[in-house]
Amino acid sequence: MNISPGFFYVFAGTSILFSLLVILNRSAIASAFSLLVVFFSFAGIYALLDAHLVAALQVLIYAGAILVLFIFVIMLLNVEQASFDYKRGRILTGVFAAFGAFGMVFLLGRVFRSGSAPLQPGPFSPENIQAAGGNTRVLSELLFSEYVLPFELTSVLLLAAIIGSVVLAKRGVIEKKSKEAK
Amino acid sequence: MEALKTIRPELLTLAPDQLRALSPYLFVFAGTLLAILFSAARVVKSRWPAFLIFIVSSIIGTVAALVLLREPPTLLFNGMMSSDAYANSFCVIFLVSAIVTAASSLKYLDNEELQQPEYYVLILFSALGMMLMASALDLIVMFIAFELMSLAVYMLVGFRRNDRRSNEAAMKYFILGSAASAVLLYGVALLYGATGSTSIRGIFAYLQAASGQGVTPVFAIGAWFAVLGFLFKIAVVPFHMWMPDVYEGAPVPVTGFMTTGLKAAAFAAFLRVFIATGYGSGVSAVIQNHIHDILWVSAVLTMVIGNVIALTQTNLKRMLAYSSIAHSGYILVGMIAGPLSEQGYAPVFMYLTAYAVMNLGAFVILTSLAARNDGGLNLHDFSGLSRRHPWLAFSLAIFMFSLAGIPPTAGFSAKYVLFYSAIQANEIPLVVISVLCSLISVYYYLRVLVYMYMRDTPDEVPVRRRVSVWSAAAIAAMVILTLQIGVLPARIVAAAKKAVTSL
Repeated sequence: MNISPGFFYVFAGTSILFSLLVILNRSAIASAFSLLVVFFSFAGIYALLDAHLVAALQVLIYAGAILVLFIFVIMLLNVEQASFDYKRGRILTGVFAAFGAFGMVFLLGRVFRSGSAPLQPGPFSPENIQAAGGNTRVLSELLFSEYVLPFELTSVLLLAAIIGSVVLAKRGVIEKKSKEAK
Repeated sequence: MEALKTIRPELLTLAPDQLRALSPYLFVFAGTLLAILFSAARVVKSRWPAFLIFIVSSIIGTVAALVLLREPPTLLFNGMMSSDAYANSFCVIFLVSAIVTAASSLKYLDNEELQQPEYYVLILFSALGMMLMASALDLIVMFIAFELMSLAVYMLVGFRRNDRRSNEAAMKYFILGSAASAVLLYGVALLYGATGSTSIRGIFAYLQAASGQGVTPVFAIGAWFAVLGFLFKIAVVPFHMWMPDVYEGAPVPVTGFMTTGLKAAAFAAFLRVFIATGYGSGVSAVIQNHIHDILWVSAVLTMVIGNVIALTQTNLKRMLAYSSIAHSGYILVGMIAGPLSEQGYAPVFMYLTAYAVMNLGAFVILTSLAARNDGGLNLHDFSGLSRRHPWLAFSLAIFMFSLAGIPPTAGFSAKYVLFYSAIQANEIPLVVISVLCSLISVYYYLRVLVYMYMRDTPDEVPVRRRVSVWSAAAIAAMVILTLQIGVLPARIVAAAKKAVTSL
């Protein structure tokens, strides 16, 4: 199955445009909603690559769960406007940053255009996956056999993150209690 | 096209020798889980269970790693991880630095009213991440281990929650560290695109196959991003801006842990990726020269800037932070010289060991002397220390001699081996610059001695603190190790050679 380049450019362009909006928007909620569009266009790109399961998970987990979490945090903290000022002194930094960003784009553009040698295809081409029983099956089987170490390590990582956030949050409660007692 | 085989039965079980090879990781992880359970239960006076579980599990882990040093290397999980002499020697460094950090923290946390059992859990988590970083043979595993280590350290840096400096340091470190991780991850993705593999062996095989016609630009830029991610983590000069602030804001024992364990872990992983992406393997002369030049400039800048700024510091914690940048520069010299000299990368390993020992020792002393909120670490607070704390002053003097590279200490023999290998590699200008830089460092290290031994105690005498038994034991062990490596370096040189040849 070949990718339709037109759709690819639509999704890629949308994701770049809205990623820029995420960082340029002054209102945190608007940034979060731009991020939602970015997640959806990524899902589109995954679907074009025949990775339907990943596309569905992208929508469910990122656009669904993670973004809702972001919005909850924004609403709980009650951030309406950016709480810092864009000072004039920052203009020079901005110029440098823009310069660096364009340099990077130029460099990457050159690298990929001059790439006369074809990229090395990995073992997971759509035909191979189709032959082995489809996306879901291949993904789940690989997760518990070949990639079991990264999979388990990710759960250790999440455990560490939970413990860390409990440490930071719990102490807040204790401090408040001791203050109230005083 | 060959069919995709997704389930391979041999991957679903662990052979007994593989289980043995995993034992240090399993012990440390079991200790982590137990410590979490006990800190959640809070049955006894809360710090003891977590602390004791920490000490016991890391000592057992260290012993297991030492035992494994005698065994042949084992590949684990489809070659994603390897238990070889390199990984196991680094495991010993990480666990020892974790033990020393925890031992010195026990009293410190009481003084600061920060005693939380989770502190020890987080140190164990980051030690586990470090161990996995040294043993990972796959970039995905390496990245996750990297994040595990960093995430735990972000929390540790921000552990003093009521202190603005600590908050700022944690936030800064978190944002910049995440950016560096993103760069690294992008590099890994490009490497996968260029080579079709994320495993270090796969990338290396691709390089060997392509050695005739040179590498593709995509590979080059992917390798670049990966290398940049690591250069950020080891904080060499163009990427060092975050470091002094973070080291300053973190609690003292955490700073000690970061300068030793974290730095050694970043170098351990860097060396593996570095060799895989073409330096020192002799597969591509273009990459070799390219990376050589960049690292050369970076090493010189790192040594000069780190030393010159350390010269002007009057706070011992800040001074050690800047001088830690300078020491990264010396280690880079070893990496540049590695492929061209007889000893290979052995001097790098040896230097990392020696630096870990002497710097940990110095930080344990700072930890036991620190006043509330990490005050009392200015140079004039150390005036007349030899009268108030003769033993602490003596040990600190040994560590300062060692950091400056004066015989008969670990710092001297490590520097000697390192510079000797650079001379063998015909890097004469580089050696001249590094020797001059370490001469600069003699000034600011020995200035501490002048204050301790030749100045009178200031009028308002600081309260004489009792040093806890745990800290005293840690300091004594580090002094003995510093002198031992300095006087009889043969054993550690042999261990370093063994570790590096298993790469």
